[in-house]
Amino acid sequence: MAEEGVANHYQVLEELGRGSFGVVYKAIEKKTGETVAIKHIDLESSDDDIHEIQQEISVLSTCASNHVTQYKVSFLRGHKLWIVMEYLGGGSCLDLLKPGVFPEVHIAIICRELLLGLEYLHAEGKIHRDIKAANVLLSETGKVKLADFGVAAQLTHMKSQRNTFVGTPFWMAPEVIQQAGYDFKADIWSLGITAIELALGEPPHAQTHPMKVLFQIPKQAPPRLEGKFSKEFKDFIAQCLVKEPHLRPTAKELLKHRFIRSAGKVEALQELIYRKQVADAKAERVKMPVYYQETLQTISPKDEADEWVFDTVKSVVPPKRGTIRSRKPSVVHGIEDVMHKLDIKDGPLQPTTPSTVRKSTVRRQSFRQSQQANRHVSNGSPRASIVSKRPLQPDMSFGNSGSTMRLFRRVPSDTSSNPSHFGGSSPTDSFAYDNSENQPPTSYSYQAPVEPHSKEAFLGRRLYNKALEPCLDELHAQTAGSAKREALARLSDALAHLDAVDPEGSYHLLRSIMSTVSQDTKLSNAFIPQQPQQQQYQQHKQTPSEGTPQGGTVIKDQRTKTLQPPPGLPSSPTKLIMSQENPHLASHRRRRESNTELDNALGITQPGGQVNGRAVSPDKESRDKERESRESRERDKEKMAMAALEAKFPGRPAVQGMEHCKALSDLLYARWTDGLRLRWGGVGGH
Amino acid sequence: MSFLFGRTRTRTNATDLPKQAREHVTKLEGPQGGPKADELAKVLSQIKMVLQGTPEAEPSPEQIYQLITGMIEEDVLYLLAANLHRLPFESRKDTQVIFSYIFRFRPPAGVQKPEPLALAWVVEKRPQVLVELCKAYDHKESATPAGTVLREVLKNEAAAAVILYDDGDEIGSSARGVGGINPDRPQTGNGVFWNFFEWIDKSSFEVAADAFTTFRELLTKHKDLVPKYLAVNFDLFFSRYNSVLVQSNSYVTKRQSIKLLGEILLDRSNYNVMTAYVDRGEHLKICMNLLRDDRKMVQYEGFHVFKVFVANPHKSVPVQKILLMNREKLLHFLSHFLEDRTDDEQFIDEREFLIKQIRNMPSQPVQPHR
Repeated sequence: MAEEGVANHYQVLEELGRGSFGVVYKAIEKKTGETVAIKHIDLESSDDDIHEIQQEISVLSTCASNHVTQYKVSFLRGHKLWIVMEYLGGGSCLDLLKPGVFPEVHIAIICRELLLGLEYLHAEGKIHRDIKAANVLLSETGKVKLADFGVAAQLTHMKSQRNTFVGTPFWMAPEVIQQAGYDFKADIWSLGITAIELALGEPPHAQTHPMKVLFQIPKQAPPRLEGKFSKEFKDFIAQCLVKEPHLRPTAKELLKHRFIRSAGKVEALQELIYRKQVADAKAERVKMPVYYQETLQTISPKDEADEWVFDTVKSVVPPKRGTIRSRKPSVVHGIEDVMHKLDIKDGPLQPTTPSTVRKSTVRRQSFRQSQQANRHVSNGSPRASIVSKRPLQPDMSFGNSGSTMRLFRRVPSDTSSNPSHFGGSSPTDSFAYDNSENQPPTSYSYQAPVEPHSKEAFLGRRLYNKALEPCLDELHAQTAGSAKREALARLSDALAHLDAVDPEGSYHLLRSIMSTVSQDTKLSNAFIPQQPQQQQYQQHKQTPSEGTPQGGTVIKDQRTKTLQPPPGLPSSPTKLIMSQENPHLASHRRRRESNTELDNALGITQPGGQVNGRAVSPDKESRDKERESRESRERDKEKMAMAALEAKFPGRPAVQGMEHCKALSDLLYARWTDGLRLRWGGVGGH
Repeated sequence: MSFLFGRTRTRTNATDLPKQAREHVTKLEGPQGGPKADELAKVLSQIKMVLQGTPEAEPSPEQIYQLITGMIEEDVLYLLAANLHRLPFESRKDTQVIFSYIFRFRPPAGVQKPEPLALAWVVEKRPQVLVELCKAYDHKESATPAGTVLREVLKNEAAAAVILYDDGDEIGSSARGVGGINPDRPQTGNGVFWNFFEWIDKSSFEVAADAFTTFRELLTKHKDLVPKYLAVNFDLFFSRYNSVLVQSNSYVTKRQSIKLLGEILLDRSNYNVMTAYVDRGEHLKICMNLLRDDRKMVQYEGFHVFKVFVANPHKSVPVQKILLMNREKLLHFLSHFLEDRTDDEQFIDEREFLIKQIRNMPSQPVQPHR
């Protein structure tokens, strides 16, 4: 299979699309000048047997029809498989649906062409098994072709049936779902659903969860097309969507249907392509084509000493023939290449405020310092000088600093540098990172900050710097899906902008969110733990830093309305009643009472551990699930960011299955309070 | 069109078709190749229709029987197999269908022969048909249709034996039918089976991948035949396997063959082959180098072979020596090996197990006793 050179026969151009399978590029075959589409499949990224991909190729390579995308060749390039196919410039029907649904005349043409394609496939003993608008491609001239044979089946016998459960739920025929043995007729059902999709913009049940659809399709009466469509069209769909496969007509029979016979020429479909081009042109944002970039495999120089020792003669890994490839710029557009590197998609987050280090793994120290450096001017605080000095802080990094932090997710590594979360000087300012409690009380005496802005603006800025921004960063780092990441990045930018323009706005935003949340019982239960405060209060009552202006806002307490100290005024100790919701109290109480019932109760009031799970669960799956459900429930990312931070507080009831880490963070909390007591032995008193 | 292929007409066809097919195939190479190919294509599609039936008419077992005996008499199966790459695109597919039907067909009444009629004849009297089907891997055009037929046929143990023991004119080769095989005679390495190594390593992706799939079927389906074969031809087989496949330039060949090696070694029926394999220090060296490959999936597949060496309770002295010589390196290496596979519990467990095994090895090699 030494065929690395074959790749040089093609000039790879821009990206056409990507999916779970890999990336599809447009390319030109140098010898003929013909435009082709090349699918790049990274074999290294999948555990699956290469056999399945090979299956797809073997189905495709035995197809020769004008109604099926023409397979040309496939070859290996390193660990990437290149599959060269005919290029279809019109795009998929799903893309073409974006400007709007298709007129009936066009649907008739597409259906006829698809039926011709299916007639061919079925005569060849092949079942496509995944007919849907996304898998129907149009050429620039309007030719309709079936694509994506990823799950197609080759029957070896005319009468044989399949049981495998494959396809896309919304388009799946009832007999496929029931796995009762199915044949070519399954494609006819999917064709009917596709016709509905083209007419309405989406398949039936599109709003239902795909898993639920799997139950509904076999149970419910087959979908029908309603509304202002012709009788013939409705009948055509009704014929396709007959639940009993034996009664469902074949592709050949359907070609005789009136709806199909009256269909026009494929050239008419160019209107759809034109319509899409117009719509694209109108779209404000010019889509930047992503050009092909040959990935350079970093060949880490191997340490000689690392090699295995066999006998007395050192064995050397056999020369890596073929793995070292010279970099050949395969793209003509050199500058665009560079531009591509600057493309937003490549960055960890979209356009950033220059002061922030977005890489969550390096954020911890540098972030704080840069923040301090940037901000202390505005608030006039001399604290910049004390950043590096953290006399009491126990080393809580567990050697998890840097990129490995995610291995130890349950331990809130953020708190390691921000002990204020452990119930620091300002229980009221729980969202702000605050070092101040580690300073001798005197250091605060002259700390009345010269505020250039209003109090609210100051707090708003602080809120952004210390809470929103790091939380978003963290969340972003944990998010895998590129769409989700992008959404988060946008939110982050929006917030950054808000912070720059109107820090007061952020303050008010959060404030009103908090108060709204508190008014809704379910939300407040979910986001704000409710425990009576006792010990914590005593501890902090004597801490003079209590009254420092920075800690003035009781964001959380605003919920309860009665406990809000006036911002900016040094609150007197007597006013310092900790909110019932203060998370630190949970652990206190638990430690004192070992009240396990409380845990259970909390587990119930926080269904699914939704708050704690956010930043804390190492279990990717559960996290993803939670994220999804949360996102569907509410789009409010600020709230989530807040919750994420809260979840990192020690003393929170452990997420189920995470009890071991819970013990760890409790222990650390105890160490920290011990340190605090040593420092201010006189004032502690308990 | 059905009137064209009415009962009367197909009846005559069933006997005529093989003759016509033979006539056209033999002239494919000549100056008339082009037009003959077209005529052959027509004949083949008619043969297919007799076998398959049409949507209107079920195939008649009688006619099929006639057709098959005719094809045996005219030796059409061999000719088709040998000329598969010369046929046009659609005819190659038709030929594939024809082979599949014919090899599956059992005579309708009476004789309870365990093997389908045509296949039994091929295995006993005309093994060259199967050999020629394998040789279809020489050509890109014929690889896929022949491969599809082969994989079906190879489910039959006798057919698999024919391919494994094909050895030209040697005594004990399968060339004179499955009955003439002498399984105790080591192979010369010139038989058709040994061509698979070349096909897998050297062909284009499609051919190589198809050949590998057939190769795997051949080596994993038959639990009596293959262990015996591997035992007799141990050195020849594994030296080729390791040098050609495991060290292949092609990522796919390398990865798949390491995986297949693991499967072969861990198959219960291959116990003796496995113990012999893991006794060799040379094999361990190859395997340890795989762990250091710069592609993760190669490392991963290599691990599943490596674990067999380490988990073996009766490690040979050479194997122990190599492991001990590299003990510290291995312990360090394994503790960081494929760290990002955090959700693969079995892998993590096995890795831990190996670390423990290596750590607990006695510091001097001891004679294994079993």
